[in-house]
Amino acid sequence: MTTKTRDRIRAKLLDGNTLIRILLSHPMHTGRGKNEQEELIPAEFIQDIRCWRNQEEVLTVKCGTATSRNPYFAFQLKGGEVGDTISLRWVDNLGGKGTTETKVV
Amino acid sequence: MRDNFDEYRRKLLKQSISASTLAMVAASGLMIPRVLLAHWPQDAFNAETLEDAILTFLGEAEEVNEETIQFTIGSPPTYAVNGASVPVEISSSLENIERVALLVEKNPFPLAMALEPTSAFSFPFKTMLKVAEDSEIIAMVRADGKLYRTSRYVEIDIGGCA
Repeated sequence: MTTKTRDRIRAKLLDGNTLIRILLSHPMHTGRGKNEQEELIPAEFIQDIRCWRNQEEVLTVKCGTATSRNPYFAFQLKGGEVGDTISLRWVDNLGGKGTTETKVV
Repeated sequence: MRDNFDEYRRKLLKQSISASTLAMVAASGLMIPRVLLAHWPQDAFNAETLEDAILTFLGEAEEVNEETIQFTIGSPPTYAVNGASVPVEISSSLENIERVALLVEKNPFPLAMALEPTSAFSFPFKTMLKVAEDSEIIAMVRADGKLYRTSRYVEIDIGGCA
């Protein structure tokens, strides 16, 4: 059940550290919102995001329903070199998955 | 001969019944391991009060009000026009961080986001949260068995919990 997404990830070297910015494309329905017909939209939100640098796991983010639509994250990793592979996977509450990958520039 | 046949019939019936029960149980999804949800701390995220959420996710520990966590919310700070995406930025000089939690006091489910960083991770961490109404936003860090807590108040123009 892989959803077609336009997830974006950017990684660059900044003063010896790796700056990573992530923008996922996901509706993040909380289960309380309503559509035009005043019907509740079922909950659909990303629960778990994992991030790796060269096969080494560096961060896990667990999200509740209070994460904004099209979630944005930015953080840094200690050290790093140009060419490191940064990869990311997310899973939502319905089993939808996404992966994305980039190289440090 | 007659007895034998009966016995055989009995056995066959029994077997087919248990087999079909098993099949039914399997089909109903009772036996499917809930691997998908196992990694997500459901209790903590479904807790409806702040204390419950903190306790379930971060556990009990000595609580320290700390200045070692720098924390800004809203843009400009303490004010956000749209509650559906309130920018949050945390940074901290603490070492050995086990967990970081972001909580929104007035949201239906206070626990908004939780990080489990490794040693390679470093701050600042930025993200966007939904905030339902004017509320206290709390950042908690668990490091070396201690809980560090900082909070900021944010004003919201349009509630963002739809």
